[in-house]
Amino acid sequence: MSLLPPFKNNNTLTMGVELEMQLINLHSFNLAMESEDFLRRMSETSHHATVKPEITQSMIEINSSIHDSYETLLIELQSIRNCITKEARQAHIGICGGGTHPFQKWKAQRIFQTERFANVSEQYGYLAKQFTVFGQHIHIACPSGDDALYLCHAFARYIPHFIALSASSPFNQGEDTLFDCSRLTVISAFPLSGTPPWLLTWEEFEDYFNRLANLEVVNSMKDFYWDIRPKPEFGTIEIRVGDTPLTVEKGAQLAAYAQTLVNWLLENPQSLSRDVYLTYLINRFRSARFGLNAILIDPISNTKQSIVDDIVTTCQKIKSQARNLGNESVIDSLIHTVNQKRNDAQELRECYSKFESLPDLVRVQTEMWMSESLIPA
Amino acid sequence: MNFLPHFPLHLNSIALLGITLLLGLLGGEVAKRIKYLPQISGYLLIGFLIGSGGFNIVNQTVLENANLFIDISLSLVLFQLGRYLDIKWLRHDPAILLMSLTESSLTFTFIFSVLYFMGSLSVIYSALAATIAIATSPAVVMMVANDVGAEGPMTRRALILTSLNNLYALILFMVLVPFVRSDVSIYLIIYTLYRMLGSVLLGWFIFLILKQLAQLTGKDKENQFILYIGGILVAIGFAYTLNFSSMLALFSLGVAARNLDKNHILMEIHFGWLARLFFVLLFVVTGVHLKLQGLLEATSIVITFISVRIIAKLTGIVLFSKSSRLTKRQSLYLSFTLFPMAGIAIGMSNVIVDFNPEFGNQLLLIITAVVALLNIIGPITTQLAFIKTDESSKIKNLEGTS
Repeated sequence: MSLLPPFKNNNTLTMGVELEMQLINLHSFNLAMESEDFLRRMSETSHHATVKPEITQSMIEINSSIHDSYETLLIELQSIRNCITKEARQAHIGICGGGTHPFQKWKAQRIFQTERFANVSEQYGYLAKQFTVFGQHIHIACPSGDDALYLCHAFARYIPHFIALSASSPFNQGEDTLFDCSRLTVISAFPLSGTPPWLLTWEEFEDYFNRLANLEVVNSMKDFYWDIRPKPEFGTIEIRVGDTPLTVEKGAQLAAYAQTLVNWLLENPQSLSRDVYLTYLINRFRSARFGLNAILIDPISNTKQSIVDDIVTTCQKIKSQARNLGNESVIDSLIHTVNQKRNDAQELRECYSKFESLPDLVRVQTEMWMSESLIPA
Repeated sequence: MNFLPHFPLHLNSIALLGITLLLGLLGGEVAKRIKYLPQISGYLLIGFLIGSGGFNIVNQTVLENANLFIDISLSLVLFQLGRYLDIKWLRHDPAILLMSLTESSLTFTFIFSVLYFMGSLSVIYSALAATIAIATSPAVVMMVANDVGAEGPMTRRALILTSLNNLYALILFMVLVPFVRSDVSIYLIIYTLYRMLGSVLLGWFIFLILKQLAQLTGKDKENQFILYIGGILVAIGFAYTLNFSSMLALFSLGVAARNLDKNHILMEIHFGWLARLFFVLLFVVTGVHLKLQGLLEATSIVITFISVRIIAKLTGIVLFSKSSRLTKRQSLYLSFTLFPMAGIAIGMSNVIVDFNPEFGNQLLLIITAVVALLNIIGPITTQLAFIKTDESSKIKNLEGTS
C-alpha cells in the first residue's frame, strides 16, 4: 500500500496561495518572536483567514482558499491582509512581506514548538533557524497525478521567471547580498531541496516516495523542499520558489501568471526533455542573483535570452489563455512592469539608498503591507 | 623620601567609586548563579552591604562623586521610559490606557487610605506617599528585561504601563508638593506651573535640536549615540539652571523622540554597555540608601502598604485584561512586573523632608522600608514574570506554558 495519499483529481484550473509573513517589532524593526501569542489572538476573533505557525516564532503563514479567478483571489488576500493588520495593530506588532528580514540574526530565532518543527530542528540543526526566510507558494490544480508530474518538469523552464518577478530579499543578515533573491540559497542547503526526480507517471512517483519513506528519509511530501512539487492531497502542483512579495496585490498577480501558464502548458503539451535540467541550476542562480537583468540559457534551442524578453514572449504566447481565465489585464500589467525591469528587490534597494538604514527599510516594508489607506473604514 | 605614600593608606573617593563598581559587578555575577535571583539583586545587596546599613564602607564623598553618574543614569532611564510611551499603540488598544489609569488610581486610593486612616498621616503626606507608590521602578523593569533578554507582548505592556504610571506620578508629585507648605500662595502655584510646562518645553525643544543635528550627521549609529548622550546632558544641565524637573524634561524628550519624529530622522539607539555601567552604579547606590529601620518601627504600616499596592496593581491589570486580549497567565505576570518601586521614591521623599523635616522624616521612614522590601521582592517577581511567560530568551521556562 502506498504511503502517499492518492492524487485528488481536479477538473477546473483553480489556484490558491500561501504567504509566509514576517512579524515585526515596531520599535527596533527587528523580527518579533511572538507568533504564538499572535495566533492565539487571531483564534479568538471571528474571521475567515487561515493563519498558521511556521518554523520560527517570528513567522506566520497565511493561506487563501481555492479560487477560479484572480479577482476573487485578490479580494480574499486583501481581506485577510486587513484582518491580520487590525489584529497586529492592537498587539502593536508589524507584519510585512519580503523574502528575508534584512538584519535579523538567525542565531537569535526561536523554534515554534510543534512536534514537526522540533523534528526539523533536531534533524537539521542550525539550518532550521536559518530557515527564517519568507516565501510565497502558489498552488495550481491539476487534472491528475500524471499531469502534475508533467507540469513539474514542463514548468522547470519558467521557474526563473517566478524567482526574478517575486525577488524581494536583497538584504540578508545585515548585508546587501548583491542578489535580488537571497532566500533561495538558504533553502539550497537542505538535502531534500532542488527539483523533483525525472519520473513521469504517478505510479512511478508513488514507488519513489514509498522507497524513501521506507528508508525513513521522508514522512510526507512536506519533507521535500523542491522548487516545485506535486501536492496529492490538494490535487495541485505547488510552485515554491517565490519570495513573499511586498504586497498581496503582487502575490495575486504572480498566482494568476502561474495559472495562465499552467493552462497553456496543459492545452499545448510540450515534449519533455531532461536537457532542461542541464542549465536549470545556472538559470535559477542567475535569476536569483541578477533578477530581471538575468540572461537565461535555453539548452534545448542552444540560445541565450534576457529574462525580460523571455517573460514578455511567454506572456504574448499565453494571451488567449489569459483572456479565457480573465487574467488578461494582469498579464498586460506584468509585461509593463517587466519592461521597466522593476521588481520588489529593486524597490527595496532604492528605499535603502534613500534612508541608509535597514530598520527604516523594514519600516517602509511594514507600512507597504499594512497600508491604512487600503483598509476600509 | 617624601614622595612615598604614608601609611596607613587612605583610599581616595575615585578609587572607592571604582571599588564600588567592581564589587557591584561581582555581586551581580554571584546573583546570576542563584536560581530566580536577578543580577540587579546582587548590585543592590552589595550597595546595602557597603552602605550604612551594612559595613559602612562608602562615605558621603563617594556618594557625591557618584551623583553625576546617578543623574545621568536616571536621565537615561527617564528618556528611555518616554520612548516606551507609544501613543499610536494607545490609540489602537485603548484598554492599555484604562488598565494603566485603573491600576494607578487604585494604588493611589489604597495607599492613601492606609496612610491616612492607619498611619494617621495628614491628607497631603498620605497623598504624596500614595503618588510615589504609583510609580513602578523603570530601572528595575528595564534592567531585568535586558538581563534576561525579554521580548514579547507582556514585556511590551510592562514597559508602557511603567512609562504611564511614572508619568502620572511625576506630574501628580509636582502638583502636590507645594501643598506641603502651610503658606500655599499663588506664587507657589505659578512656580509649579513654570516647572511643569518648562520641563515639557525643554524636552520638546531639545528634541527639535537633536532632529536638526541628526539631519546633518545622518543615519550613523555612533553619531546618533553621541547625539542622544549630548542631548540628555544638555537637558539635565538646562533643567538645573532653569529650575525645571530634569526627570520630566528627559521623559518629554523620550516621548517626543518616539511620537513626533514623523520623518524618522532619529534612530533607535541602544545604550548598551554605557547604560550597564551607569545602571550598576545606580543600583549599588540605591542599595546604599536602603534602610530597613522602618520595618521595625512601623511594621504593620509597611507590610500593609506593600500588600495593598500589590493588590491594587493586580486588580487594575486583571480588570482590563480581557479588553486588551491578554491571557490569564499574561495578566497575572504583567502585574508582577509592576511591583518594583523605584529608589527614586527615596529621593522624592527627601524633597518632602526639605519642605517639612518633622513630618517628612516619618514618611521617609515608611517609604525607605517599603522601597527596601520592594527592591528585594520586585526584581525577583519581574524576572519570574518574564520567564514564566516564555518571553525571556536567556532563561527558559522549563515548566511549559500551555
